[in-house]
Amino acid sequence: MEQKLRQEAKALLEQNKVDWIIGFEPGSLKFTATPLITRDKDDTGRLVINPFIFNNLADFLTGIKGRVGIVAKGCDSRSIVSLIQDNKVVREDVVILAVPCPGLIDLVKVEKLVGKDRDELDDITREGDKIIVTVEGKKKEFATTQVLFDHCLACELPTPQEYDILLGEVRSPAPNVEVSGENIKKLKGSVPEQRWEFWENEFSRCIRCYACRNACPACFCQRCFVEETEPQWVMPVPRWQDNLIFQIVRNIHVAGRCTDCGECERVCPVNIPLRSLTREMYGIVDELFSFKSGMDKEALPLMAHYEQEEAEDLFR
Amino acid sequence: MTVADTRFFAQGNVYLPHIAVIEKIIEETPGVRTYHFNFKDEKLRKEFTFESGQFAQYSVLGIGEAPFCISSSPTRRDHLEFAVQKVGKVTNALHRLGVGAEIGFRGPYGNSFPLEALKGKNLVFVGGGIGLAPLRSLIWNVIDNRDIYNKVDIVYGARSPADLCFKYDLEAWDKDKTVNMVTAVDREAEGWKGKVGMVPKILEETAPPAKETVAIVCGPPIMIRFTFPVLEKLGFKPEQMLTTLEKRMKCGIGKCGRCNIGNIYVCRDGPVFSYAQIKDFVSSEY
Amino acid sequence: MANKKVSRQDIAGLLEQWSQQFSVFVPSKESGVAAMTEWDGQDTSFLDWYRNTVVPSKASFLPPMEEMFHFQKGEEGYNIEPPPKTERGQLLFGIRPCDARAMAILDMTFEQALEDPYYLAKRNNAVLVGLGCTNPYESCFCTSMGTSPTESADVDLMLIDICGEFLIEEVTDKGKELIAKTNGLKEAAKDDEAKAKQSKKTAYDRVTRKLDTEGIKDRLLASFDDEGFWEKTAAKCISCGICTLLCPTCFCFDINDEMVKKEGTRFRSWDSCGFPLYSKMPMENPRQEKWRRVRQKVCHKYEFYPMTFDVIACTGCGRCIRLCPVNWDITRVIESVPTKTGVKK
Repeated sequence: MEQKLRQEAKALLEQNKVDWIIGFEPGSLKFTATPLITRDKDDTGRLVINPFIFNNLADFLTGIKGRVGIVAKGCDSRSIVSLIQDNKVVREDVVILAVPCPGLIDLVKVEKLVGKDRDELDDITREGDKIIVTVEGKKKEFATTQVLFDHCLACELPTPQEYDILLGEVRSPAPNVEVSGENIKKLKGSVPEQRWEFWENEFSRCIRCYACRNACPACFCQRCFVEETEPQWVMPVPRWQDNLIFQIVRNIHVAGRCTDCGECERVCPVNIPLRSLTREMYGIVDELFSFKSGMDKEALPLMAHYEQEEAEDLFR
Repeated sequence: MTVADTRFFAQGNVYLPHIAVIEKIIEETPGVRTYHFNFKDEKLRKEFTFESGQFAQYSVLGIGEAPFCISSSPTRRDHLEFAVQKVGKVTNALHRLGVGAEIGFRGPYGNSFPLEALKGKNLVFVGGGIGLAPLRSLIWNVIDNRDIYNKVDIVYGARSPADLCFKYDLEAWDKDKTVNMVTAVDREAEGWKGKVGMVPKILEETAPPAKETVAIVCGPPIMIRFTFPVLEKLGFKPEQMLTTLEKRMKCGIGKCGRCNIGNIYVCRDGPVFSYAQIKDFVSSEY
Repeated sequence: MANKKVSRQDIAGLLEQWSQQFSVFVPSKESGVAAMTEWDGQDTSFLDWYRNTVVPSKASFLPPMEEMFHFQKGEEGYNIEPPPKTERGQLLFGIRPCDARAMAILDMTFEQALEDPYYLAKRNNAVLVGLGCTNPYESCFCTSMGTSPTESADVDLMLIDICGEFLIEEVTDKGKELIAKTNGLKEAAKDDEAKAKQSKKTAYDRVTRKLDTEGIKDRLLASFDDEGFWEKTAAKCISCGICTLLCPTCFCFDINDEMVKKEGTRFRSWDSCGFPLYSKMPMENPRQEKWRRVRQKVCHKYEFYPMTFDVIACTGCGRCIRLCPVNWDITRVIESVPTKTGVKK
């Protein structure tokens, strides 16, 4: 897959079919890939596909000018389609290099299972259905259900439907909703007071870094509501109440655009389980509107259009 | 670098504002107001001093704080003044205040115009729009100590007659035979009989000689950028040109990091700078 | 005079004694993320930690949010109330040398006139008891930034792991005074000192990430206007605040007021030069473009701060590298700053 990717990316630049290539190259830390954004065809030799290509590269599309050849996993491609629905990206300006994704490895889960930090591990490889972690010379085997991200376990579209170049064999969805929804199930099983207490505790350590917002392709507002001063919707002070309101409103704003790529939770430096909120919203959107984000580029964006037949007494 | 002045700390804490009361409001233009105010505390009212060029952080408590220069002269101390243009949350709140309202005041902060270096020199003041605010503090200071300084030219302009700020000052300086007042508006306007043209052009026409002269420039960034080359053409050296810079500020005392240009903080090392200093700034961010 | 030492199981006793006089803070994951948290009176599991926390120790003196003062609007006008003075000083137990060095770097700004009373009130009453790292992260590069996993220069006391026990280095008078009135300590023997020396060397050698900062100030000065370089450097940054908010030497803060009915508070809270609206003015935003903000961050730490205080505002703690959502790496960036003279205005 990597070979093909490098060839295709280089060709796209050489033939001037795109101005930019956005993909991944090896990171500067173990088990890390980092976004590669380049106009230089020689850089394409560094492009990689591995179990650590976490970032949703669609995040970069709204900030870049020109035509882009972009590496996309299933969830990323849904974000691209969602941006096309919103007219933030023109379909003809992107060349989607589709990566059929077998699910990515959640290093936090690995660290918890092995009891060591990621930089203390020798190696992590995937062999078919198993993930092999080598630590201090010894190999430990784990099932994918133990170490893949929750959002990967729940994945409804591993292989992009909308693409230009397919880089590997199509993978069919096999979502394991049970395992991937454990945290949410636990929360929904508790009474509102307990949930309130839970979230007060979680959001007390939010430092308002806005990594969750900035890593999210669906958050493309030039000026976020938290940056408004007249009126001051939310104080820029990291009190848990303000932090919670920020996240709740953010969820409402991205409803119908969120593709459950899991980036918000992954990037949070203080381990707030943000996906419990986003995934729940994702489920509510499906339940109320039978709508799954980013599946059909011709579809109108869910929360930005209104059909006259929609039965809301409020609007009669 | 400014000399740290701890005399006017409220309750010993540099971040605590003093309470001041608005005594008079002048509507300079539809978007600009001048406030005359005095401290609530009698002792502070008598003892407070500052120098031309310095600024303070003014609060509408509960809304926020913003920096404005002290636009009155230290030679006229029955009250203090500052001028505010309505552009955002805090300034909108300030514009909603009436006479008798209380504001917070922290200051004076920053450096000041180098009066020693201006002694015996010819002075050319170049101002645009609300940029006259810091200049007028120095101009009145100079007029109140007229003998110390040599020739004084004031070149001031605004977009239109309605945008001219401090009209009462312009009239007074026009009448004052010891200064040369040149007022202009950018474009022809009905009823305007004065000069027409952008300030840099008017300055070029006025052509003050550069020998033994210091130019003090204040106005919108674009005006300043076009004024310096004119002064250079007239023979002014970079050390002979002074200006005041503006940046977004919060603490006002060189702590929060926000107003930096390279390694200098506008709040602490400025706002008064010479063009010579600006040319040597390690950052072209001003 | 010989150093003292303390065995692992006696540390809780030490902390208990010190709790009489100080509010003791230790590294803990109790809040959900590794940070300095008030000691619960029992837990010493952090002694097994061999590396740094996520939230830097600057949070103890410059907290993520702080109430600067309260005010009320009454019949007679506004009344401003300064915050209450905290009686007890903080004792930070388990602070790492990189964070302690960062504290010394922050002191330079906050002590400089006009002094910051909030920071200094906490700082001057604090005791720093350092704990040497024995197995730093792969992202750590403290040894390139003038400190090390076991450096004692910036703490009052330094504890070095000697297997089951900790050697105590008394650094400052404050530290010596504290030890003088502490029970439960033993005298260190000659081979304890030798073990400590070995422990230090082992930790030092485990720092594999290196950065050559030779001439970086001048290289950055020369490259300041090299827009192409900065655009490329900033390309993958997403302008969040992680690297700056969690950097132990970053200190930018915001000031905001809130008022409900007739009562209000002025807050100070962490801010970041990476945020787009950080330096926005009414008519223009001097750092609208992302590359300008990235340039500001790099230059502030490696050029501007050294120009004013003669020290690079970076202690190699590696948090920015480890926690960055896109693995933007300051060491790679510094290495790539061009050495040729760029175009300077």
